[in-house]
Amino acid sequence: MEDELFTIELIVSNHYGVLNRITGLYSRRGFNINSLNVNETSDPNFSRMLIVSRGDDYIQNQMVQQLSKLYDVKEVTLMKKVK
Amino acid sequence: MKLSGSQIVIEELCRHGVDTIFGYPGGSVLPLYDELYKNSGRITHVLTAHEQGAAHAADGYARASGKTGVVFATSGPGATNLVTGIANAYLDSVPLVAITGNVSVPLLGRDTFQEVDILGVTLPVVKHSFMVRDIDYLEDVISEAFRIANSGRKGPVLVDIPKNIQVELAEYTGNGVDNHQQEEAITGIDEAVEAIKKSKRPFIYAGGGVCLSGAEDELFALSQMLNAPVGLSMMGLTALPSSYELNLGMCGMHGAYAASVAQDDCDLIIALGVKFSDRATGKTDAYKKGKAIIHFDIDLSEIGKNVEADLYVQGDLRLTLRSLLDKLPDMKNDEWLAHIGDLKRTQAGLTDDNFMPKQVIEAVNRHCEPNTVIATDVGQHQMWTMQYYAFSNPKTLLTSGGLGTMGYGLGAAIGGCMATGNQRTILFTSDGSFGMNLNELATAVTYNLPIVIILLNNGVLGMVRQWQTMFFDKRYSNTTLERKTDFAALAKAFGCEGYSISTIEELDKILDNLPDGPVVIDYRISKDELVLPMIPGGGTVKDIIVEAN
Repeated sequence: MEDELFTIELIVSNHYGVLNRITGLYSRRGFNINSLNVNETSDPNFSRMLIVSRGDDYIQNQMVQQLSKLYDVKEVTLMKKVK
Repeated sequence: MKLSGSQIVIEELCRHGVDTIFGYPGGSVLPLYDELYKNSGRITHVLTAHEQGAAHAADGYARASGKTGVVFATSGPGATNLVTGIANAYLDSVPLVAITGNVSVPLLGRDTFQEVDILGVTLPVVKHSFMVRDIDYLEDVISEAFRIANSGRKGPVLVDIPKNIQVELAEYTGNGVDNHQQEEAITGIDEAVEAIKKSKRPFIYAGGGVCLSGAEDELFALSQMLNAPVGLSMMGLTALPSSYELNLGMCGMHGAYAASVAQDDCDLIIALGVKFSDRATGKTDAYKKGKAIIHFDIDLSEIGKNVEADLYVQGDLRLTLRSLLDKLPDMKNDEWLAHIGDLKRTQAGLTDDNFMPKQVIEAVNRHCEPNTVIATDVGQHQMWTMQYYAFSNPKTLLTSGGLGTMGYGLGAAIGGCMATGNQRTILFTSDGSFGMNLNELATAVTYNLPIVIILLNNGVLGMVRQWQTMFFDKRYSNTTLERKTDFAALAKAFGCEGYSISTIEELDKILDNLPDGPVVIDYRISKDELVLPMIPGGGTVKDIIVEAN
């Protein structure tokens, strides 16, 4: 499969340092972030992040699995483009 | 009841069954160390020579005991000195809790004396990290740190505690957080059973996950049930006794000939708790060719990370293997077993019994019990230990697999020795690796630890030199040490026995009359010895080099 833009939606703890952990994971694995959006959810304990980056199936799957391991990440959703 | 932050840390350590910790004091942990002083009857603090040694000792202690290793360090340089030790534990999935002091909260971010952002520094090499800015969270944070270090795939957790938090007061409950983990249903077992039933030439490739899960018995049962040969990764080397006939030994770059060829000839790899490291697989396309792979691992991110698996089963190996064993029939393929027998005979023909490193390791082996803990440093001596030492019991090998940390061994041996109640412990090291952290000899002497340090001294950085010999036309760039260090005299300067020898007779004589405390045995070997067999990096089993030319 070729590289394509994909979006990952995260629910994370609303806490200092969390953004660092997420973006650190992307840069460590050598994945560029095309766009990043963070908002507090209706529950102020959590934030919702929308991260757009580019990659093939392997990269998408690895990112989901690696992000799922982070303590501050509560939910990971890979948003697939409807074809 | 209200307790100070330092008291809370001590109470939480005790509540988690910690009785031995390793560390080094400093300005930002004075209140913590004051509390250690008052609680010396409950917790033994082992003072090392350097924080890196303390981190490796806590790592070795964890590997040998199966408990969580705990290390203390002060802020700034104390904390940064831990980094290699934390990274080492991260790469080998060792449960470790590192507790560092930091400057008081109001002074954070002002470049205060000995202030460093240790959370930032360690971010890529911890499972998780906490900075406690509010005393009310301290109890839960310590408890969480132990839970995280031990849950799922194990690993290191850092807790950074500013100095003012160590003296502030908070209500202590001693109840801990709710650690109840939901057990997930195991899926994929039926598919794995079907694939195994179809296999004519099954091969089990077992790694560190087996040891971390304590699934050694289940692995043995699986091999017996399928009559399947087993190859081990370095981290899994103690998963089966080396005397077991279907244990072919280590796979990979310096793996046993029979293990490498059998792994290539099989039609199914049952991979248990391995990460398919580049050192283990070589070229992954060729590695996978003509065979199916079932990957068992607790960490979903390992599935398909380095080698694509046809099937996977996620979960703690002890549980997943048990449900697999329940559903598998007994299987046997005499042809495959005969082939394995042939490979073992070919391998025996390749072995040179006069090879000096082999003789040294086997001589030491003869003086050891099955439960003797063996630590190593990193390099040629490490590979020779993996190849020639006959491991029989779990938790007896302390070696730096993922990070390959020269200087790991002595600290790890100290931790391993303490974990076994000061039983005789062996460290195989070399002049290069030993030179990195030999300051911990002072620790071994102070605590009178019976550590036998076998220093295979070739005067060069042997492993790098081996690559220069084989792939860089013998251009020995900076691998010839040419040092004048007298290791026997050095041992005496540190306060223990030391010998410089070059024969097995001398070695046997020393090992027959070992002193109570540490001893350094400097054994001279040739600088041109090679670790063989070798599959060059990125190569395949067809590239295996079995003889020096």
